[in-house]
Amino acid sequence: MLSMDRDARAAIREFVMDRLAPTTGRLDIADEDDLIDTGVIDSLGIFQLVAFLEERFGITIGDEEITPENFGSVLAIERLVASRSR
Amino acid sequence: MAYLLQQLLIDSAHRYPDKVAVRARGRSLTYGELDLRSSQLARLLRERGVRRGDRVGLFFPKAVESVVAMLGVLKAGAVYVPLDPHAPARRVASIADDCGVRALITTAERLRTLPPRSTACTVLVSGAAQGAEQVPWSALETFPASAPPESAIESDLAYILYTSGSTGRPKGVMLTHRNALTFVDWCAATFRIGPDDRLSNHAPLHFDLSVFDVYNALGAGATVSLIHEEITVFPQRLAALIEEHDITVWYSVPSALVYLLLHADLAARDLDRLRLVLFAGEVFPMKYLKTLADLLPRAELYNLYGPTETNVCTYHRVDRWKLAGQERLPIGRACANTDVFALDDEGRRVGPGGTGELVVRGPSVTPGYWGDPEKSRRARLDNPLAPYPGEPLYRTGDLVTLDEHGEYLFLGRRDNQVKSRGYRIELGDIEAALYAHPAVVEAAVIAVPDDDVGSRLRAFVAVRAGETLTAGVLQTHCAGLIPRYMVPERIELRAELPKTSTGKTDRTRLTAEARVAEAA
Repeated sequence: MLSMDRDARAAIREFVMDRLAPTTGRLDIADEDDLIDTGVIDSLGIFQLVAFLEERFGITIGDEEITPENFGSVLAIERLVASRSR
Repeated sequence: MAYLLQQLLIDSAHRYPDKVAVRARGRSLTYGELDLRSSQLARLLRERGVRRGDRVGLFFPKAVESVVAMLGVLKAGAVYVPLDPHAPARRVASIADDCGVRALITTAERLRTLPPRSTACTVLVSGAAQGAEQVPWSALETFPASAPPESAIESDLAYILYTSGSTGRPKGVMLTHRNALTFVDWCAATFRIGPDDRLSNHAPLHFDLSVFDVYNALGAGATVSLIHEEITVFPQRLAALIEEHDITVWYSVPSALVYLLLHADLAARDLDRLRLVLFAGEVFPMKYLKTLADLLPRAELYNLYGPTETNVCTYHRVDRWKLAGQERLPIGRACANTDVFALDDEGRRVGPGGTGELVVRGPSVTPGYWGDPEKSRRARLDNPLAPYPGEPLYRTGDLVTLDEHGEYLFLGRRDNQVKSRGYRIELGDIEAALYAHPAVVEAAVIAVPDDDVGSRLRAFVAVRAGETLTAGVLQTHCAGLIPRYMVPERIELRAELPKTSTGKTDRTRLTAEARVAEAA
């Protein structure tokens, strides 16, 4: 279970760093760093991220789950994915 | 009748001192408080050497202090310059330098991101002040409650809004009190904004849609809710805010409304109080507009049109009964005290059915661009239809035609300006950022039309032989120079870009390729 969590986090990190962070110019994002106030996740990025999570982890994320609490950081996204994978 | 924007606040503060004027991030200010604080800020700025006509930069995320800052600067007789709190520090600094800001209102956190610059003073909305030059917000209380004596006249500048420039240098559109009030007066009469209205403010404050939200609210004694940047990312939260703040008047770019339509389950919400929905800044895709009209049966919907240089100059009231048969929504007819018509390339007036460039005449038209008389001159031309000189027209660069009902239809641009999520973007501005990378030898940016966001930006780049570069590295590079909404979502690296027979970059071919890639 632990290794699976780490895999999930790594995959989320990779997507955030490769697909979302470059357009904000941020090179260093820690797992607990805020992704919203820093603009890493914006209104275009959030649905790219949701599509990626749904595809990668075989889960469905409802519009009502798209909240700052669930997407505020890499850790928060990982928690959301973990809660849905069980 | 008000001839200065701050008089709208002063009048409403007399009538409704205890009514809520502004809400933001869970806080609010009454008219009395807003009037008091802005007067104190004006006193502070004057004491620190800010004089009539000086520019004052506002650089912080939306908060109730945003409106205090705007009005405080105006009461000091100065000119405010809203700076995008999410733009790269270098761009913000270059704008501050371009218009020579004499004072800055910001937060300690945002200030740290900027290169050091000399200003008469820096007022910190939050965070600890360091050194004699920095003043904490709490210092306002020590200043007199009355504003300095009024000296400005209506043709003085009120604010400068920076927009994308085609050569990579942002353009500062100068707007006078009269420019803004011409628009606000028309709105007040047309939309009957009253003291019981609650207006949303979705647009960023450096975007001219905000002028509607803030000054129509202040003029009517209504309440404006500044929607902070983070909420706009989360459609359900945004819809909840409309409900909780009892918003009656909404104004935004169409893509923000499309975003709500697609992701906020509007049908399940109680939006009956929303009486007026206005949109501007880009074309509203008809399929979504029909859905919106069905979801909001009680609201009046209006398509507003106008560049920052004129604010709104034409409007069209959506007719629900005609929507089904309409292929494109008119931008409509001229607002009060505004004249619009279409001219062909020879400066002749174009009749109904013909295509021409829309030009605007009247007191809402900008005097020009800050520090750039050449650009100011090129954007304006002497009215070829008037028998006397000295009455300039603003050339919008938008191609239009007049339909059989006397309403204008927008057909496209004359140049490389595009809209994405309502933001006005010069493709040349993005290309200049790409070329600033030493390994880039050729760059072309293509806007692919998209129903959800207006257009998506694609870049094609040729890299110097022997250099290695990735799309991500290039995006990061661009993000250091231009705002996020301008950074291309996809960058394709190539050995060289296709050329036309005359040796120019073949944009037509790249556009076709980008569209194919988009559809795949």
